[in-house]
Amino acid sequence: MNEVVLSTHQLTKNYGKLCAVNQLNLEVKRGQIFGMLGPNGSGKTTTLGMLMGVTNPSSGSFSWFGEPATHHTRKKIGAVLEHPIFYPYLSGQKNLELNAMIKGADPKNIPKVLKTVDLTLRKDDKYRTYSLGMKQRLAIASALVSDPIILILDEPTNGLDPMGIAEIREIVKRIADDGKTIILASHLLDEVQKVCTQFAVLRKGKLMHSGPVDDVGKGEETVEVMAYHDDLGVLLQEFVGSGLIKKENGVFQVMMKDGFHSQDLNRFLFEKGIVTSHLTTKKKSLEKQFLEILAEAH
Amino acid sequence: MLHLLQIDLKKMTSYRTFWVICGLYFLTLGFTTASGMEILKWIASKFEDFGSSLNVNRIPLYHFPDIWQNLIWVSGLFKLVLAIMVVISITNEYQYRTLRQNVIDGMSRWEFVLSKVLTNVMLSLMSVGMLLLIIAVTGLIYTPELSAMDMLTGSEFLFAYFLEIFAFLSYALMLGVFVQRSGLTIVLLMLSHMIEAIIKLNLFRESLEPSIGWLKQFFPLESITNLVSLPFPRYAFQEIQDTVSLTAVLIALGWAFLFNYFSYLKLKRADI
Ligand SMILES: Nc1ncnc2c1ncn2[C@@H]1O[C@H](COP(=O)(O)OP(=O)(O)OP(=O)(O)O)[C@@H](O)[C@H]1O
Ligand SMILES: [Mg+2]
Repeated sequence: MNEVVLSTHQLTKNYGKLCAVNQLNLEVKRGQIFGMLGPNGSGKTTTLGMLMGVTNPSSGSFSWFGEPATHHTRKKIGAVLEHPIFYPYLSGQKNLELNAMIKGADPKNIPKVLKTVDLTLRKDDKYRTYSLGMKQRLAIASALVSDPIILILDEPTNGLDPMGIAEIREIVKRIADDGKTIILASHLLDEVQKVCTQFAVLRKGKLMHSGPVDDVGKGEETVEVMAYHDDLGVLLQEFVGSGLIKKENGVFQVMMKDGFHSQDLNRFLFEKGIVTSHLTTKKKSLEKQFLEILAEAH
Repeated sequence: MLHLLQIDLKKMTSYRTFWVICGLYFLTLGFTTASGMEILKWIASKFEDFGSSLNVNRIPLYHFPDIWQNLIWVSGLFKLVLAIMVVISITNEYQYRTLRQNVIDGMSRWEFVLSKVLTNVMLSLMSVGMLLLIIAVTGLIYTPELSAMDMLTGSEFLFAYFLEIFAFLSYALMLGVFVQRSGLTIVLLMLSHMIEAIIKLNLFRESLEPSIGWLKQFFPLESITNLVSLPFPRYAFQEIQDTVSLTAVLIALGWAFLFNYFSYLKLKRADI
């Protein structure tokens, strides 16, 4: 299960003076859903382009499945970088047939992947007539057509409506459940937090952070409390576990000290004779962590 | 190899422009070469209108063995149409960025170039096949006395024709790989002969002509033209090159190889 699928070693890409990717060392293991985060222009697409053989690295190296990459390796990977790319004058079906031919995949997979992305009804229309969301879906279908071991998606939800985003999320989750490894570059931190197991943060081509998503906000807990009691604020300060307390829209946000949890606070309030009308534990969001990581770098 | 050819054909066979251009090419090629006699008769009738006479049967345009070089030389004029198709095919891959996706999907850059070159081979072979058919049919019809010897003499022009088309298509492919934009590439393709002529004119001033004039045959487009030289002056009792020169074949082969090799080199190094 811990087999390393991808590792990069000091991978670097220079465009003239600009260093788009700077000595990147990454490791992705089998079964991980790896989120790549970073502001615009931080080098995500450039990195993926190098991994997929379309951008020549300036220096450094990478290996798929422990071996230096060849075009045969790429046939086992399904990838969509940045925009869907297809022959506009061919139908969705014909485009997928072409993808399957190049990948050496069984064309019998095509109806299945078309169904997965819900394009069966439009498969015979020319690609040029598709809406943006349909183009994105076809791109995902083409990445799936060879039943790849690894899926690389670069902002797959770009330009989709909220429903489309949710659908793509479901598709990604379903694929992940099949045990496939997924590398996902995205700006939707919420999405990444929902689907990814690992994440890495890039900034100006440099790796700022890499680790499991579960670790985000570990050890820090904020509890939201609401109660019909005038002195709630005073009482909360009396609680030994309370750190910083803020009040937002009539809701108290209590930052817990180490070792204290929401149930301790609840018990304390109950003993004081207060019944809360609202009490939730909030972990730090990936978004917050992301912004902190980027801020630290300055 | 066949697989690569199939991939490239799959891209083209649902593309309307491909059918239109190829259709036009083979139709005009077929009609023009097959109807030379009719054209000649029409010219003769014009002559008669002016009171002079021209005996068309005295001009053995369609007689074996002359027919080989005559028709093949004329057919060579049409190769530009096919080359424009090749330019569109390769520049589309840049414009739509499908080249990038092909590589992402697992084609190597070498395989990509090879798939285009194989299509060029196929188009050249189809031209040769078409011409062989027309020459066989019209030659049999118009030649007064058939002899196996006459029929085969000059058939080596068929190979020269193949090389002529293939080398020119390779040149068009290379131009497309370097320029990447269809309009500009087509203009450059059409001006190529003129540009080469101007360069030659400036390089080989009269004083230099005797000493380094022989270098001219090494120019890329000239080498392609030299494969099949203009046959018609022989009907005005002038000396012509009426066989395929081995030197010309070797030089053109060299260029055909280089054109494709340059395409590959360029593609290998590029970020796509
Ligand atoms: N072909 C190119 N020529 C020159 N510079 C380039 C080229 N491609 C990318 N860059 C530069 O490299 C840097 C990284 O770009 P990249 O597309 O990898 O960013 P990204 O992380 O994918 O951004 P986004 O989130 O906006 O998609 C940018 O500064 C960009 O301007
Ligand atoms: Mg990007």
